[in-house]
Amino acid sequence: MAGLATTFGSGAMTNSINEIENAQVILVSGSNTSEAHPQVARRIFTAVDRGARLIVIDPRRTLMARRADIHLAIRPGTDIPLLNAMMRIILDESLADDLFIEMRTENFYGLRDMLFRIDLAETAALTGVDLASIRAAAQLYGRAQKAVICYCLGITQHVCGTGNVQSIANLAMMTGNVEKEDTGVDPLRGQNNVQGACDMGALPNVFPSYQQVDIDDYREKFERAWHVSLPAQPGLTLMEMTHGGKDGQLKAMFIMGENPMLSDPVIARVEETLDNLDFLMVADIFLTETARRAHVVLPAASFAEKTGTFTNSERRVQMVRRVIPPLGQSRTDADIIMDLSARLGYAMDYESPAEIMEEISMLAPIYGGMQHDRLENSWGMQWPCWDRSHGGTPFLHKYYFTRGKGRFIPVVHEPPAELPDDDYPFLLITGRIYHQYHTGTMSRQSALLSREAGEALLQLHPDDGLRLGVRSGNLVRMRSRRGEVQVKVQLTDAVKAGEVYTTFHFSEMPVNRLTISAKDHFSQCPEYKICAVHLAKV
Amino acid sequence: MTDKYVLKKDHLLPLLRKLGKSHRLIAPLRNRHGDTLFTEIDNLDKVRIDLDNQPQNSLKRFFFPQQEVLFTYNNPDPASYHFEPVEEESGPALYFGVRPCDLSAILYMDVVFLKDAKDPHYLHKRQNSILVGLNCNNPFANCFCNATRNGPFIDFGFDLQLTDLGDRFLVECDRSRGQEIISQWQQFFSAAGDKDVKAQYQAFLEARGKFRLQVHLDLAARKLADDQVPESVWEELSMRCQDCGGCAYICPTCTCFTIRDQPTSDNDGERIRGWDACTFSGFTLMAGDHNPVDRQMRGIEKRFRHKLQFDVKKDSRPSCVGCGRCVNICFGGTDIVRFINMTCCENT
Repeated sequence: MAGLATTFGSGAMTNSINEIENAQVILVSGSNTSEAHPQVARRIFTAVDRGARLIVIDPRRTLMARRADIHLAIRPGTDIPLLNAMMRIILDESLADDLFIEMRTENFYGLRDMLFRIDLAETAALTGVDLASIRAAAQLYGRAQKAVICYCLGITQHVCGTGNVQSIANLAMMTGNVEKEDTGVDPLRGQNNVQGACDMGALPNVFPSYQQVDIDDYREKFERAWHVSLPAQPGLTLMEMTHGGKDGQLKAMFIMGENPMLSDPVIARVEETLDNLDFLMVADIFLTETARRAHVVLPAASFAEKTGTFTNSERRVQMVRRVIPPLGQSRTDADIIMDLSARLGYAMDYESPAEIMEEISMLAPIYGGMQHDRLENSWGMQWPCWDRSHGGTPFLHKYYFTRGKGRFIPVVHEPPAELPDDDYPFLLITGRIYHQYHTGTMSRQSALLSREAGEALLQLHPDDGLRLGVRSGNLVRMRSRRGEVQVKVQLTDAVKAGEVYTTFHFSEMPVNRLTISAKDHFSQCPEYKICAVHLAKV
Repeated sequence: MTDKYVLKKDHLLPLLRKLGKSHRLIAPLRNRHGDTLFTEIDNLDKVRIDLDNQPQNSLKRFFFPQQEVLFTYNNPDPASYHFEPVEEESGPALYFGVRPCDLSAILYMDVVFLKDAKDPHYLHKRQNSILVGLNCNNPFANCFCNATRNGPFIDFGFDLQLTDLGDRFLVECDRSRGQEIISQWQQFFSAAGDKDVKAQYQAFLEARGKFRLQVHLDLAARKLADDQVPESVWEELSMRCQDCGGCAYICPTCTCFTIRDQPTSDNDGERIRGWDACTFSGFTLMAGDHNPVDRQMRGIEKRFRHKLQFDVKKDSRPSCVGCGRCVNICFGGTDIVRFINMTCCENT
């Protein structure tokens, strides 16, 4: 979010998902696309069928990496040096798009000066990838007329996450690979409506449509609409809320559809924080690890029981319609909020979700022309959609970047917060697998999915397995400076020696007891992707 | 030779209304979202029967539900178990607008569920069913039942079979239950004349020429039998397969199931039969986490071998009925047509 907002002015996929099929070169970075975003992966496969070249940057040999023309198996946390090296090569070989840089961007000299200062061989050595492969990737991407970069949490979940994203933006702008169809920078969203949640201001510093709370005009607009006075100070970020501990600022929390007791780093700290609240209320469709600690649990309705919209990765706002009435005592999220609000003394009288959407379209300019009647009989519309005569926006930044000119922000390597050492010799990467979703609140209800993947596995290189004396199926005790778990080993050469990988879906193996709370300075996103662990056979 | 009759199109709805008094009616209905699905009819006057589009679902779930409780159990104390069979309650049902592919699929399911040990759940539903088919004058975009040789027209297996002749249907009858309908509701039917039979043949000829896809299914089956499918085909398809199981779920002849016990309380539970898919790695997972099939390299092999090799060997015909639904649904591009084309295009 912060990375693209500062460079382009808008933190969302610049393309539509379908456009990926038409790209000539696709650079996938920090995304296990075929497991986490199969619908995007299929477009990448189609593009490759049509002759596109695929570059994958990933420490692991994922399925996508196995299909790649060039796989850059970097040392985790060295994305910035890698991208800087690519940019330096592009500069040296005159592959930069000078006209685009001149017409559409600013501060290129800042980037150029930084790139000229780096030592190519040294930088490549940092990444663990041989310079020839980096050169080949740079040449491929730099020469493409239509190139797409897809990235995901492997880029953002680092202490330098914002810098990683800014480097990606730099690379795209430098080669003129934005602002047109089939060409751009595409952060892939991991949940069906996380884009919509951000759009609606479920962030500490903005109202809906990214209107900052500390700008008076915006705040007054919402105060007039809602007849209340609103705080001008940005709120707390997730980690500030769930990691306050005993001395946390919060007295009470209302958590909806989120399970920090499994998903947040350093779970022990989350536990301490939640247990020290005066009041905790959780609304969810199943009784999660977090809900078990709540004073009040409100049963929420599932997607099939409510009407409204979801906004996906490509900024597409789509209707979801109620098929069955909410089961048992469950209520829709909107009903829960409205009832709660009324009891707290602020009546929210909306007759229908459509009426709520009308208010959204009045207050959130990027949703200006999106009312239920326009969304109902279509596959949805992509924001920005300014008014009812506007058809939506398949790709962003046509004619100019959202912020005016695209801004190059030079970034240099920032090492991960915690790297392996003698005491904790392995580097742990966490992520997701195909058959489970997030903390498993929903997907673990399915017997068939559980049969496919019913427990956490720790991917370990066979050489390391030999050293530790473990085979596939053996248990190991995995310990970091923050906690310890036991996990079953899966030997595979998909990970490099010295690196291990596992998932956070399973409450029996809460890997976030081990992960680190170090976080990106700008986005406050925790470094889930890197921490140091020690392994021992059980 | 089956008897042939004529039913005027204007009389179709009145006939269905009569039949609906004694049967649940299931037909392809167009819903308010523009999807055509086999759906049970509540009120004949409030639904839109859609015979112009292929129903997205087959009739599989009506005979072999996606989740079916086989029996309930309780064990009040550790020493004893009580089992209670689940009684089938569904009454007689009439399925209208069944295409030759879906009819062939039911005939295939009959072999699976009724040939040796008779599955009581399936048997009950099947015995209570009347199948009124519709030949395909206009095969749909991804159809290839000409290659699987069970369409676009079919001449056995149905109770009644209709052919659209413009203002009227030619009606054929193959089973006694169809004959009973004709006898009971004589006023709707008249004997077919020579021109009706000729018109039907003309429609058949024209339909045969309307397939968009060319699928050399017999060639692929032969290559499978001769073990001439290159490794690279299995690998490429297995790597592309996104493991969603959609092909098996949408397939009218995929009948593999898994069984699980679902506790409903501390002492009670139910045994559930649910659809499975051979492309899932759990399908072949063994104790000790051993899996004889590497999903990423060979995960899709069983699917095509079963349909085009093992069943051909066993029943002398493939168990793909050419409905094309997997072609529509597969987003990895690993459907059976793709497999056949890849297999036949490799050096012969």
